[in-house]
Amino acid sequence: MSQQLKDRLSKWGLGIWFGIFLVFLYGPILVMLVLSLQDSSGGSTFPARGLISGYWYSYLGNSASAALRTAAGVSVVLAIIVGLIASALALSLIMAYRRMSRRAARAFLYLILLSLMTPGILLSLGMSLWWKLLGLNVALYPAGLGVQVAWALPFGFLVMLAIFNRYDIAVEEAARDLGASAVQTFTRITLPIIWGGVFGAALFGFTLSWNEFERTLLVSPTATLPLEIYGELTSATLQPNLYALGVITTFGTILLVFLMLIIVALLVRRTARAQAAALAEDSVEAVAAMPALEGA
Amino acid sequence: MTGEEPPRETLSSERELPGGIAVSDATAAEIYGEEVPAARAAKTAPGASKLVTFLWALPGTVWLILFLVAPVIVVLVVSFFTGTITGFSKTWTTDNYTTIFSSTSQYLDTLGKVARNAAIVTVVCLLIGYPVAYFLAVKVKKVQYSFALFIIALAPFFTSTLIRVESWIPTMGEHGAVNEILTKIGLINHPLSILLFSDFAVSVALVQLLVLFMVTPIFFQLAALDQSAIEAARDLGASGWKVFLHVTLPLTRAGIMIGSVFVFVLAMGDFGTYRLIGGGKVGSIGVNISNLVSLLQYPQAAAQAAVLVVAMVIGVVLLLRFAKLEQGF
Amino acid sequence: MATQEQVGEPGPEVGEARANGTSGPAGLELRRLTKQFADVVAVDDVSLNIDSGSYVVLLGPSGCGKTTILRMVGGHEHPTSGDILLDGESLVGIPPAKRPTTTVFQHFALFPHKTVLGNVDFGLRMQGMSKQEREKRAMDMVDLVGLSEMRFRRPSELSGGQQQRVALARVLVTNPKVLLLDEPFGDLDRLLQLRMRVELRELQRELGIAFVHVTHNQEEALSMADRIVVMEGGQIQQVGSPAEISQRPANVFVAAFMGDNNILRGSVAEVNRDQAVVDANVGHLAIPTGEHSHSVGDKLTVAVRANCVNLAAGEQAARPNEVVATVAATEYLGDTIKVHMRAGEHNLLAKLPEQRYTEMSKLVGKPVVASWDAMNVQLLRD
Repeated sequence: MSQQLKDRLSKWGLGIWFGIFLVFLYGPILVMLVLSLQDSSGGSTFPARGLISGYWYSYLGNSASAALRTAAGVSVVLAIIVGLIASALALSLIMAYRRMSRRAARAFLYLILLSLMTPGILLSLGMSLWWKLLGLNVALYPAGLGVQVAWALPFGFLVMLAIFNRYDIAVEEAARDLGASAVQTFTRITLPIIWGGVFGAALFGFTLSWNEFERTLLVSPTATLPLEIYGELTSATLQPNLYALGVITTFGTILLVFLMLIIVALLVRRTARAQAAALAEDSVEAVAAMPALEGA
Repeated sequence: MTGEEPPRETLSSERELPGGIAVSDATAAEIYGEEVPAARAAKTAPGASKLVTFLWALPGTVWLILFLVAPVIVVLVVSFFTGTITGFSKTWTTDNYTTIFSSTSQYLDTLGKVARNAAIVTVVCLLIGYPVAYFLAVKVKKVQYSFALFIIALAPFFTSTLIRVESWIPTMGEHGAVNEILTKIGLINHPLSILLFSDFAVSVALVQLLVLFMVTPIFFQLAALDQSAIEAARDLGASGWKVFLHVTLPLTRAGIMIGSVFVFVLAMGDFGTYRLIGGGKVGSIGVNISNLVSLLQYPQAAAQAAVLVVAMVIGVVLLLRFAKLEQGF
Repeated sequence: MATQEQVGEPGPEVGEARANGTSGPAGLELRRLTKQFADVVAVDDVSLNIDSGSYVVLLGPSGCGKTTILRMVGGHEHPTSGDILLDGESLVGIPPAKRPTTTVFQHFALFPHKTVLGNVDFGLRMQGMSKQEREKRAMDMVDLVGLSEMRFRRPSELSGGQQQRVALARVLVTNPKVLLLDEPFGDLDRLLQLRMRVELRELQRELGIAFVHVTHNQEEALSMADRIVVMEGGQIQQVGSPAEISQRPANVFVAAFMGDNNILRGSVAEVNRDQAVVDANVGHLAIPTGEHSHSVGDKLTVAVRANCVNLAAGEQAARPNEVVATVAATEYLGDTIKVHMRAGEHNLLAKLPEQRYTEMSKLVGKPVVASWDAMNVQLLRD
């Protein structure tokens, strides 16, 4: 079998694998979508009854779902705050990180990654005990906020790390060279260049907080949306309104992600076109240089 | 580019993360005997610069100490306290630990099961995830499509784990989608009950939740891979499979290690999936802890949590050891 | 271990250095400058005078210390010891923002989020200039470098040559006293490099300020410099005009680094009144004794420039400064040809005019006699 044929076969084979993978990932969500479109006779499992109806979506609006709506409001506010704080902290940490010696930087990275790997339930337990030892009341603010930011921080940090990969430190030296103070360099040069990373980190933080569940479980008597859902899942009978809610939040989040992707793609395409034109100019300039040398 | 001394260590290439993704520029520079200072920000004098670094690091570090390090330490401390009806008293005791390791305790059983599950989940994630990462990074030629498909695969990660777990119930339950489809096709006569509220179900759900943690580091490492090494191997007569085994796989070792550590750790420490998909039938340490807390038995809960962490650390160390053994390729 | 400015033959270059600009305290002076990173000494006790208005090139391989010196002069690196003086006043401790030097960075370091105009007026903004005057000056400078049509473009939308011009405009608009250039041509393609060399040199002459230019490219240095400072291992190897550096290298490193030199080692066999005969393995050399007194048995190293070597078919070396070798290969380079030869274990190189190509290609594999004049034998230190 020729190499080219082998390559093509493997590409298609792996492509099919990828397709199955996507079904594996998205399947349950689609199941949830189907069941959420049942009418009032619908239950929590198959067979689906009374498709297609928006009943359970409007159910989210009535008094039985009040707790869910309140919790959603709590979550939104919390998520915004978490996003802002986590991205600010991630920014300050990356500014410190790139100035550190290699050994210090490595230790630092491990500390940050520690946050990713510590089991949520452990942190939740520890947080509530810690607050009790301090004699403080455990509540969403500041204890819940604290753990959620600590959870979002490493993700934001990794985003900033990726942004700084493409960052040329020489621009800061150039700015200093031209008379800018440290503060001016940061506000006029560094920040405008990396603001996309900060925004991405904030978005990350928002999403992570919005979905966060284990860390807040033992810490907050106030229900965030995930906590409220958890409560209903474990105590009441499962009703399709939770499916409707799940569909809304899931597709909402995915939409947000795709929106970001499209914006980035458009930006990239614009500069790519400009760069291609610019490279062509380079060659033209070079050719034009020849008669100039003759003349000189 | 001239490597003028000391070379600039920008956070430059994808290979560059202290903690070991592939060979960093810094490592390469070390091999050639060049001094590599940290990425330089413009400085006026050395003393001022250290202060600035410290100040930048301060808020984030304080936050992490307060809300990450302290809770873990507190858990450790409280595990040595004595339990009372209303909580705990600060009397030092090792009773909590003796209870855990006593013969009547099911803790070690549960821990063993959880560890075994986590290991299985890790391996499955690797087997499923590596081809996905390979497809995206190597087989898809255009970088834009590659990243677009990656984001499509990554998107579910941004949704609530709770919701994804929740959606598992109508999918895998006795009257769930899978059973309905399988019955309709005629593959089975009775609905399979192990698809939900069982060890198997929990493992499957965990794979779905965590596979992206495996795909991502491998994807990034493959994407940064120098294709010419693979082409060179082909040139020298290696067949496709051999190229993969002897060139590609070793070069992605770091990505595999990172992904495996992530998946293993997250699987061992999981609570929500076990609770909701395991129902009452599958035990996990996380569930234990949650139950103990609702009974106000904090020291016990703390002790169980502490042992869990130790087990996780041992597991990770073993994992890394095992991975290094593979180095003799 | 101090390396002084006068390395190798003291001679016309001292007077030349003074002739170039004003004498006295004006200009840039490096005084016993040292920079140590952990256990690496990047710059080792370097002293150098750079006259205002001169074009000085720091030339050397990677790691030789040239960029570190440039960064210290610009204030981006702090010296471990020693001093840097401009017009008699020390610059050490003064931050880059306040120094009258500016740097053109290796990959230009243009601000990606600003337009051409935004990049150029940045320095003026930092100086607190009024908006009106700032706009006028920036516009004038943008016109001067021929980029007025591009003034609202971002750097990513410019070609390499245009980017370099922005980098130049950006620093020149602030009227520095000394311009520092860190491998300014690295990112440009070759033909553009050649053209920019000429333009940059003309620019410097017009402005009349000192340019300190760092490169590892020998041809670039020879083409542009008033004076070249060859460096290696943190130390100055030789300072001189391009002609001196290429025709009269001071030591083995300079001879080898500049290329196109035959480096031969031997010991003195005979000493006559005005000549000494040296027994090198490939043959005998006769060198003028000049100011050096040699004794029999002294070990010497010499360099003979490839373009001083004449070739003729033959199998016997009759006199000193003649060597028999076999032609290994010939290289056609357009205006000249290079003839690579082997004599025993030694490689020899001759550079001849293009017209001799046919003749030389016929001699590949055959013995030739390489010869040169005694006055073209350059004695090297070390």
